[in-house]
Amino acid sequence: MKISLDWIREFVTVDIPRQELLDRLTMIGLVADTVEERDGDVVLDLETYANRPDTLGHLGVAREIGAMLGLSLKEKSWPLAELPQATTEIADVQISSENLCPRYCGLVVRDVPVGPSPDGLRRRVEAMGLRPINNVVDVSNYVLFATAQPIHTFDFGKIGGGKIVVRKAKRGETLKDLDGRTLELTTDMLVIADESRPVALAGVIGGEASGITDATRDVFIESANFDPVSIRKTAKKLGLSTDASYRFERGADVGFAPQAALMAASLLTQMGGKASRGLIDVYPKPHKPKSVRLRLRRIAELLGVDVPESLVVEVLGRLGFRVETVHKGVWRVEVPTFRVDIGREADLIEEVARFYGYDRIPSEFTPVRSFDLSVNRKRERLGRIRQTLLGQGFDEVINWSFADPEREAAAGSGLRPVDVQNPISSRASVLRTTLVPGLLENAAWNLNRGLEGVHVFELGNAFYWEGDKHREELRLGLVSTGLLPGAGWASGPAETDFYVLKGALEALMEALRFEPFAFEERDHAYFEEGRALALLYKGQPVGCLGVLRKSLAAAASVDRTVFAAEVDLTGLFEKTPKPFQYAPVPRFPGVSRDLSFLLDRGVAYQEIGKALAKLNLPLLEGFELRDRFSGPSIPADKVSLTVRFRFRHPQRTLVAEEVDRVEQDIVGHLKSALNIQLREGKIDNRT
Amino acid sequence: MADLKDRVEGLRKAFEAEALKVGDAKSLEGLRTAFLSRKKGHVTLLFEGLKSVPAEDKREAGRLVNAFKTFVQDGLQTLEGKVRTDGRPAQALDLTLPGRKRYVGAPHPLVLFQQEIENVFLGMGFTIEEGPEIETDYYNFEALNFPPHHPARDSWDTLYITDDLLLRTHTSPVQIRVMEKKKPPIRIIIPGRVFRRETPDPTHLPMFMQIEGLVVDEGITFAHLKGTLEYFIRALFGEKIKVRFRPSFFPFTEPSAEVDIECIVCGGQDKSCRVCGGTGWKEILGSGMVDPQVLKNVNIDPEKYSGWAFGLGIDRTAMFAFGITEMRHFYENDLRFLRQFGTK
Repeated sequence: MKISLDWIREFVTVDIPRQELLDRLTMIGLVADTVEERDGDVVLDLETYANRPDTLGHLGVAREIGAMLGLSLKEKSWPLAELPQATTEIADVQISSENLCPRYCGLVVRDVPVGPSPDGLRRRVEAMGLRPINNVVDVSNYVLFATAQPIHTFDFGKIGGGKIVVRKAKRGETLKDLDGRTLELTTDMLVIADESRPVALAGVIGGEASGITDATRDVFIESANFDPVSIRKTAKKLGLSTDASYRFERGADVGFAPQAALMAASLLTQMGGKASRGLIDVYPKPHKPKSVRLRLRRIAELLGVDVPESLVVEVLGRLGFRVETVHKGVWRVEVPTFRVDIGREADLIEEVARFYGYDRIPSEFTPVRSFDLSVNRKRERLGRIRQTLLGQGFDEVINWSFADPEREAAAGSGLRPVDVQNPISSRASVLRTTLVPGLLENAAWNLNRGLEGVHVFELGNAFYWEGDKHREELRLGLVSTGLLPGAGWASGPAETDFYVLKGALEALMEALRFEPFAFEERDHAYFEEGRALALLYKGQPVGCLGVLRKSLAAAASVDRTVFAAEVDLTGLFEKTPKPFQYAPVPRFPGVSRDLSFLLDRGVAYQEIGKALAKLNLPLLEGFELRDRFSGPSIPADKVSLTVRFRFRHPQRTLVAEEVDRVEQDIVGHLKSALNIQLREGKIDNRT
Repeated sequence: MADLKDRVEGLRKAFEAEALKVGDAKSLEGLRTAFLSRKKGHVTLLFEGLKSVPAEDKREAGRLVNAFKTFVQDGLQTLEGKVRTDGRPAQALDLTLPGRKRYVGAPHPLVLFQQEIENVFLGMGFTIEEGPEIETDYYNFEALNFPPHHPARDSWDTLYITDDLLLRTHTSPVQIRVMEKKKPPIRIIIPGRVFRRETPDPTHLPMFMQIEGLVVDEGITFAHLKGTLEYFIRALFGEKIKVRFRPSFFPFTEPSAEVDIECIVCGGQDKSCRVCGGTGWKEILGSGMVDPQVLKNVNIDPEKYSGWAFGLGIDRTAMFAFGITEMRHFYENDLRFLRQFGTK
């Protein structure tokens, strides 16, 4: 809201330096975003709040300044040159929708010489950033910006039958507005009509036909009060926002309507017009003043400081409240009609606090009566996931929750996306059903900027419809492509591969104790056929990983092979992990033996574990794959594996012969079950 | 002959053992004397012993002893290369080659900054709560004292899913969800993604991160709000930072306060400062005493209990703290940007 200091001085004396004024205004909540000098005047652009329509005019701001400086507002008289006729003899006002128009005031000013405004009036209008139009239009703008009460002026000669009817629009009615647009009215919209048709959209904009022109002689001044919700709905529906609708939808001062009409009439009569006698004031249900109980004790309880009684009474009085003492420390406060924001004790306490000064309220620690000792398991797990993945060399990213519906469809999560009704752009019009495409875009972005490898993860929600219920699922997404970070002079650059990603998921599941977990070959729309695994915990899929489909990568302009994974953390976290249990460090040494053997290419590595699980091998502590290769020295249909088996007895040191026996069992069983062929002798390592 | 072989083998082991102990010129000289001295050196003595070897073995014995002499000489030469004249061991390795590092990923800066904020409050006994990103109109607005069709909603421009479902415009609906379930004392912070229908510009994006705090208990005052938030801001920006509370409006707090901190970029000295616009103050968070209507909406008696709340945009605060001029950098995920924060 633009505020001219020159104009403010019509209402209250301001003689403190400008910077001090600005600082003190800030501290009562009125912040000037910009300060502009204009022909010897200073115009502030004040930030205003949706609950304070009274500050949308100079009078309201002057009232705040008065309370701040301890000054009363100046009185100003608005003389009228009157006609012999009463307004009611000339015009007629009827309200047929009382609840949408609580009050309607009007009068007629005859023989107004329409023309340019006097200099003083032009200056005021220009200070508001408006172009002066003519004296009648300028007067209505003047009243609006002076008092925050919007008024409207009609060419009374164009009001059929001299009748003003405040009613809802009829089906099919239209109105050509002052800007020449034809508005299609609906039956929930309030209009001002004459005896036959709408002449204005109530509280929003006037009609062209009844607008002021150079030919206008008689002016009907409307100063009314309209229901805020109705005005807002109408303005929104038509995509209109005017200075009038802006104020009415926040709540105009129902008590001030007559005064605003008289101000306008006074100005027009000063220019040569003559006002009809007596105002029409249709006010079927006069507003009952709100009254709020205010307790001194409550002020201290809420603010944490004892505010002097005298300050409370003084501030509220200056702000226009009527303060009446009920008994010591308790007041009955009557709220003026211009303060639509005040209805409760807390609202009054804010007024006291503003003028007492937030800076004078002491600073204290919030006392603690008890601590919440519950453990936030989810945060703990997310922390563990982050730590694990950062340690595995993945960088963390955050992507948009919005997605391009085409990109989403191409990714093929198979989930029904949640649409945004009013998206910022058509390329962000759904919520993502998967984190993978976003991560792929991160890969593209960084590869395009010269990075040779991208290994990233994101923790965030995916959204989808399941029947008529929307689902919000916390996911982990991973993408790995190109060279692995951390190559140095001692070891050359290494390309990422499927097992880097799989290893990250294994590390993660182990870190969270979701064990034993399993992988199962399972195709998925994200991945190349036969190049994808499902991650399972307790037999249920909780994620997937694989080689991203070439077409998806290509669509994102990535020509490298991309490995990707996605885990449903909401689902996983609902399951119970293995409990943490401490196990004593083994007291007796173990033995490990490396066995190298040839395995048919068609046999998967995990078959070894499955085969061994069928034997009862209490001494076998575990085994790991140490090496895997194929080459000219190996038959084409075989791979060579070296597996390290670890043996241990919990109560004593093992002897070579018993290890030999177990080893023979293992070899024998693997030979018969998987047709392995031993390559060379055993290597015995004491550990 | 076998005797000689054993002797040579024993001396070879002795030489190797001694060679390991050589650290300076002096000990090197000692080793040389012990083996090659013309009077009593081990090698000299071996050559003298050759005289008593039977003729048929002489040839092989001579080769054996000569080979050992060469071994000793080579060994001493190698050691010389390692022993510098100043008496310290010479560089066997080029120690100036770069070390081998294992690459550790970088956390996202917003996560990092969020955790810094969380840690301050966790230290004050707050706990962390979260809630859904798709909300109902009731939780996002109505329960927070935004009447339907009120212009106050304009500052929280909303992305709608259906007429009733929307993308939460702030983390405040979680206040309601927590207060519905839990009775005071309540002492929580709520981090999370929020969404607004904003046209992107350097400081506005349709998605950003927010963190919110709520305290509800008996006897909670505006003074507690001030003291606790001042402490928080000082923990984040340093002991000496100036903090200012000024009146504002939020539908869910009354009284409401906007909190400004002094501009750490220009200190109020630059009239054209891009960060504070020359005012010397930077708005950092919104706060206030929980509106009595909000408490009533969750069946908490506002006569008995009071509370304070605050909300802060993590992105903009991080921008201010790190001197980042474009908010979208956080979501472009350029690794050259993100990885810098691995060292924060």
